[in-house]
Amino acid sequence: MSNETIATASEDVFDESLDGVGEVGEDLVEQAYEALDGGAPAEEKKEKHPKWEAWKTNFRRHGWILVFIIPAFLYVLVFCYAPMYGILVAFQDYMPGDSIIGGSTTWVGFQNFRTFFSNPNFWDYFLNTFLLCIFGFLVGFPLPIIVALLLNSLRSKKVKKGLQILYYAPHFISLVVMVGMLKLIFGSDGLLDQLSKQMGGDAGGLKLFLTPEAFRPLFIFSGNWQDFGWSAIVYLAALSGVDPALHEAAKVDGASRFRRIFSVDLPAILPTIVMLMILSVGNLMSCGYEKVLLMQTAGNLETSEILSTYVYKFGLMNGQYGVGTAAGLFNSVINVVLLVIANFTSKKLTNNSMW
Amino acid sequence: MKKIVIGVSAAVLWLVCVVLFVLFAMGGGTNAEHQFTVLTVKEDAVKDYNSMPVFRELAQETGIDVNWVYNTSAQYSNNTDPVGTKGIDAIYHTGFSNLKLYDYGRRGRIVAIDEYLDSMPNFSRILTARPDIAEALKSPDGHIYSLPRVEEMGLKAYPNILYINKKWIEQLIDANALPANVQLTKEQLKDGLDLYRSEYEALLEQFKARDLAGGGKTVPLTFVSGNWQGNESDFIASFGVPENREHKTVVNGKITFTVEDEKWFDAVAEMQDWCSRGLISTSSFDQDESQFLARGQDGRYGSFYWWEKDTVLAKEFRDDYIIVLPLKDDDGNRYVGVSNEQEVEKGECVILSSCEDKEGLLSYFDKFFEPDYSAQLNYGSVKSGAFLPNKVDGKLIPNDDHGEQSADDFRMRNAPYGVVYLTEEVWQNSVQMESRAQLRLNNLNDYVKPYTFEGVQSIPNLNYTQQELLDLNTHEFSLSNNIASWYTQAVVGDAAPTKASWLNLLSVNRDSLEAVKSINQAAYDRYLLAVSAE
Repeated sequence: MSNETIATASEDVFDESLDGVGEVGEDLVEQAYEALDGGAPAEEKKEKHPKWEAWKTNFRRHGWILVFIIPAFLYVLVFCYAPMYGILVAFQDYMPGDSIIGGSTTWVGFQNFRTFFSNPNFWDYFLNTFLLCIFGFLVGFPLPIIVALLLNSLRSKKVKKGLQILYYAPHFISLVVMVGMLKLIFGSDGLLDQLSKQMGGDAGGLKLFLTPEAFRPLFIFSGNWQDFGWSAIVYLAALSGVDPALHEAAKVDGASRFRRIFSVDLPAILPTIVMLMILSVGNLMSCGYEKVLLMQTAGNLETSEILSTYVYKFGLMNGQYGVGTAAGLFNSVINVVLLVIANFTSKKLTNNSMW
Repeated sequence: MKKIVIGVSAAVLWLVCVVLFVLFAMGGGTNAEHQFTVLTVKEDAVKDYNSMPVFRELAQETGIDVNWVYNTSAQYSNNTDPVGTKGIDAIYHTGFSNLKLYDYGRRGRIVAIDEYLDSMPNFSRILTARPDIAEALKSPDGHIYSLPRVEEMGLKAYPNILYINKKWIEQLIDANALPANVQLTKEQLKDGLDLYRSEYEALLEQFKARDLAGGGKTVPLTFVSGNWQGNESDFIASFGVPENREHKTVVNGKITFTVEDEKWFDAVAEMQDWCSRGLISTSSFDQDESQFLARGQDGRYGSFYWWEKDTVLAKEFRDDYIIVLPLKDDDGNRYVGVSNEQEVEKGECVILSSCEDKEGLLSYFDKFFEPDYSAQLNYGSVKSGAFLPNKVDGKLIPNDDHGEQSADDFRMRNAPYGVVYLTEEVWQNSVQMESRAQLRLNNLNDYVKPYTFEGVQSIPNLNYTQQELLDLNTHEFSLSNNIASWYTQAVVGDAAPTKASWLNLLSVNRDSLEAVKSINQAAYDRYLLAVSAE
């Protein structure tokens, strides 16, 4: 069952999960090849580093398959690893056009980091980033799972399809338009404000875009409204791989629809959920700056100034590229630490992990 | 057979198209006949510089031919290294900050213009005649890396005029509904209306209570908070504190933060009260310029701050509004602060070190400082109809008749702006001011300027050291964020701001406040010294 689940899951999850399967299946494969080779008895092989021998045989027979990895390997190398040398900028007095490694490079050690950490508001920005992302994660992570499970349990395929389209359509609204809509509805003089005034509300009106407390809910709920349907697709794909026989068996045993969700569907997509959770935790501190910036007003700065908007304003707009890169690097380091912790925890608890 | 013929002709046609396209593309790329190529930031709506009469004239007079190439402002802002653009000799409309100019300058990527003054007679004359401009242009290492834009009309220091809806007051008079503390006759309702703040407040209250715009659309008072024009600074100033949008100004030679003044807190508390009663629209704090202008067109504003009413209102409502003098406090005093917007702008044009004939190109740009060229660069060429064809008493006379086009549209399409030198002297001798600008200036002279605080001045363009620039950058970022955040929350908040929270704002930001003050003070003292020495 688990193999079928994986086959239909998204590509990322597919690769990652396969690693897990690989570990389990390794011994079997080894034994199979030993049996195929047939010649030497197993005990003799063990003395000659059996794993290494098996690997060699394996490679001799199927080594050419590795060729298929080359494009992916090159892609990662060129687009993910090569640009990393740019983080050296964090230790330089840099402006675009300077060579990053060369005679003219001015190294400044940790000066940029000192500038960044000495910002009197550093902890506020850090906390804002953390809270915005963690709340976003807490709301945004379970929502698509619940939606996928519910959609999957619908009897009518037509209704399911219709709802699914309805749910993921907002995903295609561009950010600027989205924030424009938010302002028209929730901003001063917006729909809600007008309504509240008409209904005899406070003369000052509703001003959600100027209230720091309203920023996070607005940001998170609008973001989730836009994306929950889209994110549910991965889970729906995983659910479509669940063996109908299991459901039938459960029905025969008298399981209700609700019971089947918990006992059949949920366990089936658990590996997918865990994998996506680890990946999300790895991105926990990076919620993009564009939407935050668009929604920012002087009134909500207290909660809406986050590390990435600081990097954008101070680093890019002010031309402090070194400080901007230092801040970005700091953010990435935190993300990596979180990723490692999440992976470790998941390995201990559910036996699912990325490595 | 027919099919073959059609196929062959389609193929030939396709080939011809490709060849033509390639030739066309190559033709666009070559500029062998041009001596210089200059990159400029230009929106598509603005006419091609290469065919603008003013540049053709310049080419004829100097014998120097410049090829202009363009970035739209969106392209330009995405260009992290414009100075690295291949094949250009200079950048016009660079928008570089002090720090960026210096960063490029000390790396030797842009030219120190002060080393070529011999080929720039006009510019060197300006530097000698105006030590303040020379001082403003210097980078921390004493070099001048950019050509300035100088447009001195005496307007920018006073970016706010208060307008009020005369028609609505007349309606109140007719309905015998004037507030008890306001005695006004219809004859008094003209530009320069004299009101106490309490009278003004009572009028706004009446506007709102009677919903004079109808349909709940009435906006008693609005502005664009923190914008360079039409902001709330003069409202706050009426409490006796020389406010501007940066909250910092020069008082008797000392750099001062207005936020530290208790009167500033009083003003904020009062504004909160007005906001909570709906007298100040909360949209004043989250709208931008274009939203403000769009909302005002249908005459729903009871009162607003802006430079001139014509841009805010549709034609049929323009006569309904009159200028109010700065509001009087209870003792009958009026105050207006001055902004720190500069009439000398740095970073308008830089020459790249890769330019082969720096003297040649600079001698070309030097012509821009001559009054006739400055005027045409700033408003559009004589030949395009921006000025009357013949001078009167040696002065260029602006042409106000642009047919269907509005004056703003005409200027936007025909004027390249940028490096100009238009000062008091030029307005007196060589160019007549646009009638709109003249009107604006007259309004300011009559109704705003006389009430400037005594001893208060704008902070001029200061010249910082590299360390000072870096320190300012760090402190000002958090400081302006914190002040803006506290201020906006205090004003639009549901409860009145407490003095404790204001004191807390000051104490939390004490280090930054002191650092920004002392850096600016040091630079200001150096500026005074340099200007007086020369």
